[in-house]
Amino acid sequence: MKKSAFLLCFCLLITVADVSAKGTDTFVKATYGTVRTLDPACAYDTTSGMRLYNLYDRLVAFDGGSTQDFIPELAVDVPTVANGGISGDGKTYRFKIRKGVRFHDGSILTPEDVEYSFERGMICDQAGGPQWMILEALTGQGATRDGENKIIPGVFEKIVKAVEVEGGEVVFRLHAAYPPLMAILQYVSSSVINKKWAIATGCWDGKIENAAKYNNPDFNTEPLHKTENGTGPYVMKEWVPSNQFVFERFDGYWEKKPAIRTAIVKYVPEWTTRKLMLRNGDADQVDLDATYLPEVETMKDVTIHRFPLLDYSAAIFCQNINPAGNPDIGSGKLDGNGIPPDFFSDIHVRRAFSHSINWTAMKADVGNNLIELPGSPNCIGLPYYKEVPLHEYSQEKAAAEMKKAWAGKVWDKGFKMTITHNTGNALREAAAQMMAENIMELNPKFQIEVRNVDWKDYTVKYRQFSYPMFIIGWGADFPDPHNFLYTFMHSNGVYGKYAGFRDEEVDRLCNAGIKNVDPAKRREIYSKLQDRWHELAVGNTVYQKIGLKTYRSNVKGFVPNPMFDMSHEYLKNLYME
Amino acid sequence: MAAFIARRLIFLIFVMFGVSILIFGLMLTFSPERRAAAFVTTPQMAKDIPVLIKKYGFDRPYHEQYFTWFRQVTSGNLGYSLVASRSVLEAFWYYFPITLELNLYAAPCIILFGIWMGTIAGRKPNSFFDHFSRIFSIVGWSLPTFLFALVLLMIFYGYFSWFPPGIVSDGFTMLVRDPARFNQITGMYTIDGILNGRPDVTFNALKHLVLPVITETIVICALLMRVMRSGMLEEMNKDYVITARAKGVDEKTICLKHARPNALIPVITIAGQLVASLMEGSIAVEIVFNRQGLGWWLASSATQLDMPVLMSMCLFMAMVFVLVNLVVDILYAYIDPRIRLS
Repeated sequence: MKKSAFLLCFCLLITVADVSAKGTDTFVKATYGTVRTLDPACAYDTTSGMRLYNLYDRLVAFDGGSTQDFIPELAVDVPTVANGGISGDGKTYRFKIRKGVRFHDGSILTPEDVEYSFERGMICDQAGGPQWMILEALTGQGATRDGENKIIPGVFEKIVKAVEVEGGEVVFRLHAAYPPLMAILQYVSSSVINKKWAIATGCWDGKIENAAKYNNPDFNTEPLHKTENGTGPYVMKEWVPSNQFVFERFDGYWEKKPAIRTAIVKYVPEWTTRKLMLRNGDADQVDLDATYLPEVETMKDVTIHRFPLLDYSAAIFCQNINPAGNPDIGSGKLDGNGIPPDFFSDIHVRRAFSHSINWTAMKADVGNNLIELPGSPNCIGLPYYKEVPLHEYSQEKAAAEMKKAWAGKVWDKGFKMTITHNTGNALREAAAQMMAENIMELNPKFQIEVRNVDWKDYTVKYRQFSYPMFIIGWGADFPDPHNFLYTFMHSNGVYGKYAGFRDEEVDRLCNAGIKNVDPAKRREIYSKLQDRWHELAVGNTVYQKIGLKTYRSNVKGFVPNPMFDMSHEYLKNLYME
Repeated sequence: MAAFIARRLIFLIFVMFGVSILIFGLMLTFSPERRAAAFVTTPQMAKDIPVLIKKYGFDRPYHEQYFTWFRQVTSGNLGYSLVASRSVLEAFWYYFPITLELNLYAAPCIILFGIWMGTIAGRKPNSFFDHFSRIFSIVGWSLPTFLFALVLLMIFYGYFSWFPPGIVSDGFTMLVRDPARFNQITGMYTIDGILNGRPDVTFNALKHLVLPVITETIVICALLMRVMRSGMLEEMNKDYVITARAKGVDEKTICLKHARPNALIPVITIAGQLVASLMEGSIAVEIVFNRQGLGWWLASSATQLDMPVLMSMCLFMAMVFVLVNLVVDILYAYIDPRIRLS
């Protein structure tokens, strides 16, 4: 009797499965990335970006898989010199704004909303955020604050003058011609928000005299951190940080109604769980690192898209580590139990670490030959790419460099530190382990721990100079060497800054590169910068990904674009058979 | 009995007070500079540490600092969790039901299964079942939870597609999160499903609990089984058992009515500790089966040095252990009438 009852319960539990199966209008994505913020002015990571691309619209969007052609989104058309939208000198752009577009709260989009969105974003200019791009294009300065973190006098006046509404059109006045502008206008930081709602939510009040109060908000306290009101095809139904994010179709969307009604993005850090969810159809798309590709290739009813990707990852050596209560640098001194905050300012230390990656194993064993190993951040596929050598994998050379570091003190005393990577990224974890093990093999006094950190915390902590060495990647905002070399090498670039790296020649070359329109001169400038990356061992290449996107075979509509990695998803394009 | 419980609950207040002093004392082992460093976000800000020490009162006398902190805690302000991106209290009430629900099912399974196996093994020493249970307990105790959970997941979800990871299936996700259609009373879907008149939700949530419960049962009940077996062996050789046999009492009655209750005393102590520690959550089970609860939160907070969470969880666990000990004491008296609750 007892056995029968038990068996009955067991069978009942198993058969309930079919009742709960999701329909073809629900899309489930299993990922290891977590959202940092939903404020479009501050979000500067691919995971947050994926949410924002679906919640908000921008003036323009990439045309399918192209990185050079655009289609209008909230603009009526894409301005060109031919249609009079762009002035002959390339310094004025005019956008007619689409009529009848509604925000998620039902209010109607106006050109003033567009003007406010850009001005508010630039005034906000969070440290390490994305606003440097549009600031550089419109004001000629990549920041609202100087090296001392003080607001640059007159910068807010420049900002409000740079974007105006004239005759129902939004006009951008550039400091100088800036070829990548259109690509910046399709990026999430150019998302259009509702002015009235934003002010009511605590964003900049529209008064220039108050702008400074709204500049550089603290991480996670941004006014739009947890809320949204875009014009995008989806609304946020629910966001449970580090758990799941639920999109629901916006029925008042101005364009064709998307096929997917509900999209659930689940945080599943364990690969095996993600893999089984994909196999069983409980996930329609999962984050897949190249390491695990063979496990998916044999699956039935799964489609794998492979495509070139402008996405480069490197190990960043921080030369100005925040010592305050920092467990990642031990004692904070070169006494065998820690490292000083400027440990990586010695080029020999950086070179030693650069010699410690076994490139052959990295490419073949870890990356399954699905990664490239460019010698600098100007990765394969970008203009002016140059084959820069990688630092040869050699324990002898690494040991020789370590012996020279800090006048021999590193070798004599030893050190203790941590290498960090984001949770779930198998390639970065493998690279971190490889470097740690190879360096520790050199001398028993060298102690390195490898630690993984949840993505949303990782992107905050590196901006607090907390990590001595962190592995991080960069997906293109716009397909130009400036976007990569400035980011990794300029003293005000997102990674250059948080690496505490400053080299006058590098800064000069970066600034000259974007201002120059002559291809020959640009080639020369970027060639020098790529060489300089190697000479100075600014960072260490880890990989350039080849795009991998894994869907259940019944999911259609995905269009690969080298600008977007696996975390990206244009939900409105997808449909399920 | 009521007086005993009341006394123990009053005792709980003193214990919590002691624990709070201990936790605060631990916090004080960090220098004021180090504690102020939690508010430093750039190397440039390091020079502001003296200002931060003043601002947050880290330079005030210890008792003043303690009472300021204590007032905050008792008023429900446990701080902000960076890991959970919300207040500690709000995050706690999100993660706690997830862990509690798993433990509500896992704890009885662990205890009953452990006692059952231990009883049989102790009753028939050196039998096939005894050898099997000993091997089972060694394997269960030494098996990495993470590995075992993965194996179960691969077989029962990957191969058979019976028991999926997560908390409920996606078909129900939107239903249970919609306050208009589903009232989240306890936050535990197996119970809320019944309270909302949705047995399908309950069954679905149960289905998601099967593998985590099996994992915790197999891994944790080994210790309980060993203690039960030893207790049974000891009791079965005592004089009162020999007397009962001599009087012709059947073996089943001797075992279940006489020996087992006496062998249960140490088992209850251990079961109490096990159940209490289950409330911390199991990081391996929560990650593999994708049920982010207290274990995941605590582990993430530890790696991120999310101090408000760590301190709050210490307080919570202290409370759990005190309450579980109270239950254990009451059970002692119930099982062994010689023990008086006075």
